[in-house]
Amino acid sequence: MNWKKLGKIFNPTQHKLPDNCHEFAQAPQTLVFENYVRIYFSTREKDKIGKYLSHISFVDFNKKFEKIINISKDTIIPLGSLGCFDEHGIFPINIVRGKDGKKIHAYTTGWNRKVSISADASIGLAFSDDDGLSFKKIGNGPILTASLNEPFLVGDAFVAVFHDVYHMWYIYGSKWFIDSSEDAPQRVYKIAYAKSTDGISWEREGRNIITDKLNENECQALPTVIYFNDKYHMFFCYRQATGFRKIKERGYRIGYAYSLDLITWTRDDENCGIDVTDGDWDSDMLCYPHVFHCDNKIYMLYNGNEFGRFGFGLAVLDN
Amino acid sequence: MFQWKKLGKIFNPSELDNRIWMKEYAQSPSVLIFDEFIRVYFSCRPSPDETGKYVSYLAYLDLNKKDLFDVINISENPLLKLGELGTFDEFGTNPASAIRIGDDIRIYYCGWTRCESVPFNSAIGVAISNDQGKTFTKLGKGPVISYTIDEPFLLGSPKVKIFNNVWYLWYAVGKKWIANSGNPEPVYKIRMAYSNDGINWVKTGKDLIETKVEEDECQASAEVILYKNKYHMFFSYRHSLGYRFKEKGYRIGYASSDDIITWVRDDSKAGITISEEGWDSEMVSYPHIFELDKNIYMLYQGNHFGRDGFGLAKLEGHYF
Repeated sequence: MNWKKLGKIFNPTQHKLPDNCHEFAQAPQTLVFENYVRIYFSTREKDKIGKYLSHISFVDFNKKFEKIINISKDTIIPLGSLGCFDEHGIFPINIVRGKDGKKIHAYTTGWNRKVSISADASIGLAFSDDDGLSFKKIGNGPILTASLNEPFLVGDAFVAVFHDVYHMWYIYGSKWFIDSSEDAPQRVYKIAYAKSTDGISWEREGRNIITDKLNENECQALPTVIYFNDKYHMFFCYRQATGFRKIKERGYRIGYAYSLDLITWTRDDENCGIDVTDGDWDSDMLCYPHVFHCDNKIYMLYNGNEFGRFGFGLAVLDN
Repeated sequence: MFQWKKLGKIFNPSELDNRIWMKEYAQSPSVLIFDEFIRVYFSCRPSPDETGKYVSYLAYLDLNKKDLFDVINISENPLLKLGELGTFDEFGTNPASAIRIGDDIRIYYCGWTRCESVPFNSAIGVAISNDQGKTFTKLGKGPVISYTIDEPFLLGSPKVKIFNNVWYLWYAVGKKWIANSGNPEPVYKIRMAYSNDGINWVKTGKDLIETKVEEDECQASAEVILYKNKYHMFFSYRHSLGYRFKEKGYRIGYASSDDIITWVRDDSKAGITISEEGWDSEMVSYPHIFELDKNIYMLYQGNHFGRDGFGLAKLEGHYF
């Protein structure tokens, strides 16, 4: 596979965003309309004690991604109330049209701060009745959260409808650990799979579906799955569990796996077709890929250095 | 109404001096009957840390069947380790409910974690013993009953029973946190789930017991017994704020049901409340009912949420 990079297309510091946000445009996710493409992303405000709260915003591009035609002006989805799983941030959000092709589902990853570790995460669900301008949560609680063998950090949902079934790829935490090279406890998370007939109640398969490449502490995040050429293709990002913020070699890269049956995945990073570019905005890190169809082309949105602090870029699949 | 005759306090952990993990509190007594003794599972705590925060452990003590005030054995070590970093039960295992399944014993317990904006959160885990309840192994690192769309936090106070081959779990569900000027306090209500195996549960998704003292009344520890085709529930309730003192503290309520789904509350029938003086003069809570030699007994917590131990009452009046 070969991705042709089209460059960074959005820098959040150059626009006015709602919810007091000014930096970060992470985990871009699309909703494609007839005449434009809405790209949702997670951006951040600083709260009273100087910690970040992630909020969702969007930017609308024309279908050639040359021109910004609209930016969200109001809160799209509020953070959760006191004690709720999404009180301290929503990052990322995944938007998908339901089986009927109309109802817009938003699968959120909600964050809640903890004491012995930084935070925990669970997956929530909201619906939109206004073409994705705003979303209403179906409840105060999550649809997928800690369970017997996925004890924490359940998040990064990506949902797709194939063969009239909702499929979800998501991540779960497998361990928190203390390492002398880091100030705070670090986490390990892996990609897993669940399916559903209604998009609300999910049946988890209960296993890590992507083999580790680096080591057992490899962190795998934000899967995105697309079907073409008779195969299902998954892109995701992965990194070392420590040192990934500052050391280029230990930071996020994009990985790749393929499947014929949505069950068995073969990891094949060699064929991923996208890597860091020296001297550019994505020289040290590649993360949070999102792959989608638009006007007979296949695109990838992704973040570069500093986890998307200064925006996201676009690549197109070059056949 | 029921008539419970109070027999006095059975156990006060602060009178022990040889277990640093069992210094205060003896909460949520749960009985299993053995041939030679009755075993009471409960939760206890070491002294608080330098910030005043507690962890809690599971323990048991064995009582002489002929004299229930005769403690003949106390577990040497906590029955479960606290959870690993970041897991739901990292900071406590309390309360708990024990049940015998063939040769195994299972404990359903509430695990505690600590949060930033609110003091804590909880979910329900399960552990199994293959050695007659002396040691337990957790089923996994995570909870068995966890948060869902309309049960967003604070799942606790599990009480497990099997009636007619169906597993039932009564538990408390957090409804909201009251900000309370920076000292958040939770509101929780009693709900039920059922199961074929005690592992995979179906939540019924409804608050079972109508509210009495205020809209934000907190309800927990639903102890259900079946007698002559009728279900009887004894539970605890309190005000949402100011509950650490007598007037708004825990009391034991009562409800009954013919179908285990629809409950009619009538606290006037509970037949047990605070005493004029003594160890249970400010609060009574966390009832647990068991039968021994054709007598029906209730173990319950007294003042300070059971900090100074639990006591015993015996059913005298025959409401049944």
